Amino acid sequence: CESYLDVNTAPYASTKVEPKLLFNYATTNWAANRAGGDNYISVALAAQTIASGGNYGWGKGDVYDISPYSTGNTWKAYYATAGLNLIQAIAEAEKASPANNNAAAQAKIELATMMYEASTIWGDIPFSESWQGDIAYPAFDSQKSVFEQVIALLDEAIVQIDESSPLKISDYDLVYKGDMSKWKSFAKSIKFRTYMVMVDKDPSVASKIGQMLTEGGMVSSSAANFAFPFFNSPDKENPRYKILKRYSGVDAKGNVINTFFFANNNVLDYMKQLEDPRISVYFDKPDDVTTYNGVDSEEEADAETATVSMYLYRADAPEVVFSYQEQLYLEAEAYARGLGVGQDIAKANELYKKATKEALLFNGIGAAGAESYVQNTLPALTAVANPVDQIHLMQWIDLMDRPLEAWTQWRRSGVEGSEIPNLTQPQGTPAGGLIRRWVYPPDEATSNPNSPSPAPRFTEKTWFDL
Amino acid sequence: GKVTDRSNGDALPGVAVLVKGTTVGTTTSVDGTYSISLPEGSNTLVFRFIGYAVMERNVDNASVVNVALGVDTKQLQEVVVTAVGIERETKSLGYAATKVEGEELTKARETNVVNGLAGKVSGVRITQSSGSLGGSSKVVIRGTNGFEGSNPLFVIDGLPISNSTPSNSNSPSGNASVDYGNRAGDINPDDIESMTVLKGAAATALYGSRAKDGAIIITTKRGAEGKVKVTLNSSTRFDNVLRLPDLQNEYAQGNYGQYNIRNTNGWGPKISEVQDVTEKNFLGEDVTLQAYPDNVKDFFQTGMTYMNNLAFEGGSKEGDFRLSVGSTNQTGIIENQSLDRYNVSLNAGRSFKDKLTVRTNINYVQTEAEGRPVQSSNSPNILTSAIYGLPRTVDVNQLRDNWIDPVTGEQIALTPDKTGNNPYWIINRNNNESDVKRAYGNVILSYKPLSWLTLSNNAGLDVYTENRFNKTSKGTFGALQGEFYKATIQNQIFNNDFIVTAERDITPDFNIKAMAGHNIYATEVSSQSVTATNLTIDGLYDYANATSTVPGQGFSQRRIIGVWGDLGLSYKEYLFLNVTGRNDWSSTLPVDNRSFFYPSVSAGFVFTDALNIQSSVLDYGKIRASWANVGSGANPYSLDYVYNPATSYFVQYSLSGTFPHGGLLGFTAPRTYPNFNLKPQNQENIEFGADFRFLDNRIGLGVTYYDTKTSNQIVSLDVPLSTGYFARTVNVGAVLNKGFEVDLRLNPIRTSSGFDWTTDVNFARNVQSVEDLPEGLESYGLASGWSGLQIKAEDGKSFGLYGTAWQRDPEGNFIINAETGLREVEQGKRLGSINPDWTMGVNNTFSYKGVNLGFLVDIRKGGVFYSGTVASLRSSGLAEETLENRGSIFIDRGVNKTKDGDFVPNTTPVQSMQDFWGRYSATANTEGNVFDASYVKLREVRVSYILPKAWLDKTFIGSAELGIEGRNLWIIHSNVPHIDPESNFFGAGSVGEGVEFNTMPTTRTLGFNLRLTL
Repeated sequence: CESYLDVNTAPYASTKVEPKLLFNYATTNWAANRAGGDNYISVALAAQTIASGGNYGWGKGDVYDISPYSTGNTWKAYYATAGLNLIQAIAEAEKASPANNNAAAQAKIELATMMYEASTIWGDIPFSESWQGDIAYPAFDSQKSVFEQVIALLDEAIVQIDESSPLKISDYDLVYKGDMSKWKSFAKSIKFRTYMVMVDKDPSVASKIGQMLTEGGMVSSSAANFAFPFFNSPDKENPRYKILKRYSGVDAKGNVINTFFFANNNVLDYMKQLEDPRISVYFDKPDDVTTYNGVDSEEEADAETATVSMYLYRADAPEVVFSYQEQLYLEAEAYARGLGVGQDIAKANELYKKATKEALLFNGIGAAGAESYVQNTLPALTAVANPVDQIHLMQWIDLMDRPLEAWTQWRRSGVEGSEIPNLTQPQGTPAGGLIRRWVYPPDEATSNPNSPSPAPRFTEKTWFDL
Repeated sequence: GKVTDRSNGDALPGVAVLVKGTTVGTTTSVDGTYSISLPEGSNTLVFRFIGYAVMERNVDNASVVNVALGVDTKQLQEVVVTAVGIERETKSLGYAATKVEGEELTKARETNVVNGLAGKVSGVRITQSSGSLGGSSKVVIRGTNGFEGSNPLFVIDGLPISNSTPSNSNSPSGNASVDYGNRAGDINPDDIESMTVLKGAAATALYGSRAKDGAIIITTKRGAEGKVKVTLNSSTRFDNVLRLPDLQNEYAQGNYGQYNIRNTNGWGPKISEVQDVTEKNFLGEDVTLQAYPDNVKDFFQTGMTYMNNLAFEGGSKEGDFRLSVGSTNQTGIIENQSLDRYNVSLNAGRSFKDKLTVRTNINYVQTEAEGRPVQSSNSPNILTSAIYGLPRTVDVNQLRDNWIDPVTGEQIALTPDKTGNNPYWIINRNNNESDVKRAYGNVILSYKPLSWLTLSNNAGLDVYTENRFNKTSKGTFGALQGEFYKATIQNQIFNNDFIVTAERDITPDFNIKAMAGHNIYATEVSSQSVTATNLTIDGLYDYANATSTVPGQGFSQRRIIGVWGDLGLSYKEYLFLNVTGRNDWSSTLPVDNRSFFYPSVSAGFVFTDALNIQSSVLDYGKIRASWANVGSGANPYSLDYVYNPATSYFVQYSLSGTFPHGGLLGFTAPRTYPNFNLKPQNQENIEFGADFRFLDNRIGLGVTYYDTKTSNQIVSLDVPLSTGYFARTVNVGAVLNKGFEVDLRLNPIRTSSGFDWTTDVNFARNVQSVEDLPEGLESYGLASGWSGLQIKAEDGKSFGLYGTAWQRDPEGNFIINAETGLREVEQGKRLGSINPDWTMGVNNTFSYKGVNLGFLVDIRKGGVFYSGTVASLRSSGLAEETLENRGSIFIDRGVNKTKDGDFVPNTTPVQSMQDFWGRYSATANTEGNVFDASYVKLREVRVSYILPKAWLDKTFIGSAELGIEGRNLWIIHSNVPHIDPESNFFGAGSVGEGVEFNTMPTTRTLGFNLRLTL
């Protein structure tokens, strides 16, 4: 009789699993969230890197009115679908005999990067008490503490990496294929970027920036970009492409077209001023229109308006988390500002040119054209009134297609009112200022008594934002 | 002597014959005869039989004493079937049990028998999910008791059957929102003798965990002793849309008053003002714009329903049989929608040498449906929005004739961007198909070795296989390469009850009935599905024709073993006491906690008999009380920490990607953190009630008060996602349901000429509240809609609808943005209860000679309802109310918040009504489209005429009845514009309700009926 009742073991699940299987699930969920409607569209429209075209395009109303679904799903990716599985992967890797230290390090580096991102979105977030079975209501750590924990976790991973060990996630690592030296350089770059975000609020980290610049070992070629691949086959496409494929429509030849997202003047105008060769890469103009016409955020687009290009929205566009040019711009900025190193505009100029060239190459501009642009057209830092602002502007343009980083970049690019570029509140957004964070997802806010009360509104700055 | 029925002279077997003042007694045999020896000094015999008035007769030395018993009209002698098939007199019950006769259910037959209960039983709430053919209906008895919903147990002749509503897991493109019906809808209404609704835990205690939400006990028809009878019941009915939206007919599609063929909305120019120009229509022709006011109405057609049932029945002293064959054939209100259901059932019994009885009831049902519409959002195949969203300038006849390019075979789109799908493309190319094949039945062996002892065993099985096939053909915008989804769901329930019954009169006044039972209950659900995308050859839905296929499977098993006892005592037929106890062992709980016991006590006291009240006003009076405690188990597999292979990763807008990604698989830790220490949940129920009959049965009144607390709920409690988990399986929280029910039967007119008017009124009020949530947790989500719309349980409140609300100042004025003139919103606000304050049904029957007229009004008061369909009609400028203020200045009434935090009256006009409605009815904005869910509906109307016998004397027809029947004829009152407020996006299986999104409109049915008996 008792054995008749012993049927409570799920047949299609396993009590054991290899870390790589969890790692791949986590990474895919993370990348899919970044590229999907919850994160990409919400952030890109709010940060004004692209334009909705009003009712002509994606539709009004989504700006600053970010759906609790989107905030919830993004939170879900960071903590549950991606975060928890990385935690379990780390545990499985470290308890294996022999321990798979590289696998644990790979998972830790991703987890640290994700927590960095989550904090740039929400400010104070749970971290130190998350993923502990017995803690039902994780405390919210301050943003400063989160960034410090991110750095500590990255340091832990860097030390744990053993490049000589064959034990690692390699075939299940779609980004670096188990190249641990690239993981190490990526970890260092994320650490560096985190310090760069912290430095305005906490100048004491400048020395760390200087130290890292001296030590090197950060991402030093586009081959070490952290780019998660999508594929041009059904259900493996970049989510941004899938949104258009499903909802936007097709042209006469049956090719997917973009009728939702348009060139934002906040990017296009600057690119025009700089005669940036990426204009035709970033944007498509209607067939019978001769110029690239942008619109302001939330402004009604029309049949003459340039759209964000189908090249950027191609099915197999990778989701980029960190790039070589981003690293170079950050280094340029450190030298231009003298962060932990002596101020050196010439060095900064060199890095800024190199960064811009990398950015052009990344977007398919030929090497010769890129070189010529950088040497002949791009204003030299030595020739502009404010070199740091110029670096910020180039960073902004480069990050148009990576709105999450663009938004952080914009917020840290100057004190309130003098950010680069100067943005204004789009028509239809509630009074009170530009968006500076997301509100906590209602699910977390109502179910976790430790969530800050009153909950900060989207116009309130997070710790790093001056 | 012999005992007969006074009304027809038929012999009455089984009548108790007692010598008054002694324990000497016997029962009448099958032919109604008896013999008894009278002890010295005795002279009086007492004849007792359920449903008949007790008779005493002095013998006075006669050797033959024949009596004719009359039906007892003074008392409620109705017999109802209670838990585990125990038949009991209504008057002996210590709790409320409402019986609905099969006759009542077939008066205006519902294709889904569950809907037939709507408005007929106090405390029972039926909510239709949608107007899909064969769509599902949700049953809630006395309020929802659990955080995971309310699922009353359906039992047919002692066999618990499945009423599941499995959703489409892993289906592509949001096709999850096809309404495949609830499985109780498979039951043939013509086979039902009666339905008893057991509402409280005392009533269902012997079913234990399975029936904590109440039980619906169905008894099927049997053949009767006598000659063979053939019955034909045939209906032909016409269905059309009950409620069409009220649309504007003045504005064309476009943006801010400018015509634009890219838009499918009503925000373009005023049609009357652009008669001097031509514009391109969807076919690229230059036309002068004109409105087609009936384009939505004309999309729909009249659906047809043919319901036919043929039953053969008969019986002898030893046995009986009934064979029934039924068919239901429907065509939808939209082309290419159909449903065909066939039922065959056999109910046969036979007794052997008076001691052994064998009975079996076997049923086979097959349901095939085509064209069940996709509802909700994010699928290219959603039909309601494709129809309701047609610009007013589109001629539906032109659309019908031009949905496919005859040369290229490509879809003709409504817009040059080829966004919205042509609804005719959807219904002609992308029809869903599904079929269910189901067999259920049981075998009951009953052995009576002694006159007071019965052993019986009831073994039953309910098995079904459901196949689903959703297809999206190549060339469908949103899924240009085509895709399809096939799923097979198998469900099996095995149930065995072994019962020993002992019944004795200890003294003539004191009867004892003791029962003991053993129960085995086992369920098994499995599913296999494959999602295939990117088809090579159009129209070939073969896996090998797809470049990507993703399989999925599921399995779950649960077993319960129970032993129980039931002790029933009755004293002088006016005082009744019942005590039950059941112990269950559940497979889903930890070994140490898997055994749990639950008791119940109930008592009934017929005070009019006890006090021998002889009043011309009060005919009958009874009070009753019960207390019960019921436990229940968990969902299978809630105890282990396991990793699952993942088939997909989430992407918003129903665009989830699939594994393997890049050739690599993914595994995931569980969403729900398991609990290794789960305890059974517990329900405690107290019920008091009274039943009265007044004025020679002209007035019957039943009142019941109940208080149910379901605590230690086993729930997947949503936990902060920052723990890494979505939920944690815990024993937490309690749901209280308190309420009262009134059942009133009036018989205002009853004339000697045969005119009779009867009114049945049932009223129920239930107040639900959530209690005992853990410290610090004020509320948590029960079900999620979209964009923050949620159904939540909040401490101290009933289950409610939460979402975005208008911001208000302390005085309650809307806060309006001083720049845009549009209202400001805030998230996560309670917008009202999803439960009604009260429900009421009023059923009137008039009869005169052969003519019968009946109508049923169903009333719901209170609760809130959100309509996504209304939101879309408004934001797209198609709803009639969007005409208001168009082209004129509109200043919304409210206040602006100044920088200092003061509030000043708003003076900013909205830029345009397009912006106003865009904001008001955005999907992210819940309150704008929340309505009071109250309604008054004319649920049923039936007129029938029984042909006079004389007309049929010379024919082979025994009796004939002609009728006109109507269902859901009229929404007498509703506060929701454009749609029927009775719709449910979450589906019948979910705890969520009060939300609708692109639901198929419900139908009004009118037809005629013929019943013949041969």
